[in-house]
Amino acid sequence: MKKRFIPAMQAGPIKHAAAVALLTASAAFATSNAQAWTLKEAAQPYSGTTIKAIFLDRPGYKAAQQLIPQFEKETGIKVRWEVIPYENTREKEVLNFVGGGDQDIVLVDVVWIGEFASNKWLVPIKKFTDDPKLADPNLNLKGFFPILLDSFGSWDKVTYGLPFDNYSGLMFYNKCMLKDAGFDEPPKTWDDLLNTYAPKLTKGDKFAFALQSRRGETQSADSFMRVLWPNGGSLLDAKFKSNLMSPQSQAGLEYRQKLMKYMPPGIVDFDHAEAVNALAQGQVAMITEWSAFYPTLTDPSKSKIGNCLAITTEPKGPAGLKPALGGFSLAVNAKSNAKKQAASWLFIQWITSEAMAKPYLEAGGVPARMAIYEDKAVQDKYPFVKPMVESWQGGVPDYRPRFPEWPAISEVIGEWGSKMMLGQVTVKEGAQTIGQKTEDILKKAGYYDGKKPLLK
Amino acid sequence: MASPVMHARGPRKPARYFSVLPRSPAFWFLIPAIAALAIIGIYPLLLALYNSFHQYKLADLASGTPFVGVDNYIATLTDPTFWEALGRTALFLCVTLPIEVALGLFAALLLHRTELPWMRAAARVSLVIPMATTYAVVGLIGRLIFNRQFGVANYLTGLIGIPPQDWLADPTLAFVSVMIMDIWQWTPFCALILLAGLSMVPKEAEEAARLETPKWSMILWHLQRPYLLPGLTAILILRSADMLKMFDAVFTMTRGGPGAATEFISVYIQRVGFRLFDQGMASAQAIILLILTIVLSRLYIRFVYREAA
Repeated sequence: MKKRFIPAMQAGPIKHAAAVALLTASAAFATSNAQAWTLKEAAQPYSGTTIKAIFLDRPGYKAAQQLIPQFEKETGIKVRWEVIPYENTREKEVLNFVGGGDQDIVLVDVVWIGEFASNKWLVPIKKFTDDPKLADPNLNLKGFFPILLDSFGSWDKVTYGLPFDNYSGLMFYNKCMLKDAGFDEPPKTWDDLLNTYAPKLTKGDKFAFALQSRRGETQSADSFMRVLWPNGGSLLDAKFKSNLMSPQSQAGLEYRQKLMKYMPPGIVDFDHAEAVNALAQGQVAMITEWSAFYPTLTDPSKSKIGNCLAITTEPKGPAGLKPALGGFSLAVNAKSNAKKQAASWLFIQWITSEAMAKPYLEAGGVPARMAIYEDKAVQDKYPFVKPMVESWQGGVPDYRPRFPEWPAISEVIGEWGSKMMLGQVTVKEGAQTIGQKTEDILKKAGYYDGKKPLLK
Repeated sequence: MASPVMHARGPRKPARYFSVLPRSPAFWFLIPAIAALAIIGIYPLLLALYNSFHQYKLADLASGTPFVGVDNYIATLTDPTFWEALGRTALFLCVTLPIEVALGLFAALLLHRTELPWMRAAARVSLVIPMATTYAVVGLIGRLIFNRQFGVANYLTGLIGIPPQDWLADPTLAFVSVMIMDIWQWTPFCALILLAGLSMVPKEAEEAARLETPKWSMILWHLQRPYLLPGLTAILILRSADMLKMFDAVFTMTRGGPGAATEFISVYIQRVGFRLFDQGMASAQAIILLILTIVLSRLYIRFVYREAA
């Protein structure tokens, strides 16, 4: 588009005027179209339809639950949801897909998009955005943070879902504990954290840091991958071979072993709840956790930290700021009937819209819309916004590979990453085993003989 | 009015129709149970058997479900993780089951005493409570009991001067924690079954034995033992099968960790079947587990139950 417009504008005043007129006319058309389209009218054919979703027991879903009655009132579409633990979500959804379940709105974790899309279990959003009756002219896909739309909702250049529950890894810290130890600001680098802050903040039953490392996705995503990227390491190289024996990856994994000295005992059994609770109860001074835990840490019934809570980006490593990236998109189940698919799309489009970003944020959710975070009042009210936006701007889109083989690799890391932390195997032995098993999985999947494109 | 011919033919028809079915009431009483068993037990078993000879990956159905012969069985039997998980389960079984039986027998002998009948009644009721608790909830209770900071386990060990332990983060202690929760939940079952056995001993014989000897061990071995053996066989079969397929409590308590310290065979099969979605391989593993359970049961019957006969 741009290439066509630029010569036209340079061709002279008449052509310039024509181009401006054309632009104005198309803008006016878009506006009139926007005025013509209403959710109520779009939903009229689907009034009375019931659509089903799977939700988690997390703030973003509670926020959606508060807003759903508004959608139901406006559209007549009934939204039903089932809250299940994260650990069972993928299992439940896959069984739904293959067993013909009744789930219409699919919750897609960033690491499931490859599997769900490759199996054609999701409807590409193009089907709906190309339909003027269903597509909100104000949808504005470019209004989403690109990293979130690409990572959570897209696979192989096709978009399937819109980002709904969005996280970035942040550092939450107890500024009072830091001040008592003589620090006016949080550590800027992982190296500072280990060598300068940790020794002074670890005394008796108080510890400098907690890195949730329980076996499962917590070990693989929150613990293992978190120490690879900032050190310049990674799980795989460009040819999908293990990169864990590289000096950078080894440095990251060795770093984690050293930092364990300043973590509470039993850290290999810490899940998100335990890490957040350790900071909330004043047991540890710093944690790196998902931005979504901000409401938990500021809830006086769950947290004692009060005004001592402060938030910043994760520390930088030799490779710069490489924070954890995670979150979920909402997509439409390809196995649902056409009516339910349309109704589901209308809901997804509505809950992730720019218009709903503020109510969603105020209800405890974290929207993926850029515009909302430009509001100064929002930045002041939610201290996690600034570091989160900074993290999303500098994050790694494939922080965890999103291909269908990730769950199998995550299981391997869950087991051997924990063994490494416990000292049952050395860092080198653990990395070698994970690398070998990962390559076996990828070889079987056909990545090395060209049967599958190297997509992650 | 019906003609005589028609009248003569009329009643024969239903008689012929029903004559192919047995008239025995036992047949009709058994039919619902057999039907239920066929739907709930036999059909899934046959399906698992069928799947075990096929490639059946739920998350990759596009590649089809071809017949692969015994490949899944070979892959299972040559998988070191499978053997490690099986070994861990065998260790758990060999250590936990005797403790449950011993504690259950101790409790049963105490409850068998005739003093304070109301205490016996109260104890019997309270014994049912752990058994009635859902497995997953037992795991969650375990997480609370063995929490390093707030758990009652560290509180109790602290009373005798032992420093706080990382029950769920230390591989050995995590194994012990799961054992303790299983013993807590299933010792009452052993106690109730063995108590039923003890109550079968004729009162006259028991009184005569008590007059003969004051040693309870003599009475237990020579008089009560034969009555306990059928119950003991049932305990061994049921608890072994239960331990081989123990999943919920372990999953909620440790998720198989730390490392692989509590990854028992069922946790591993669940991982293969519902995390990796390799139903073919998981079915082969489940069939091998079933064969193991049957062999164990036959051994119990041969060596324990036969002794009672």
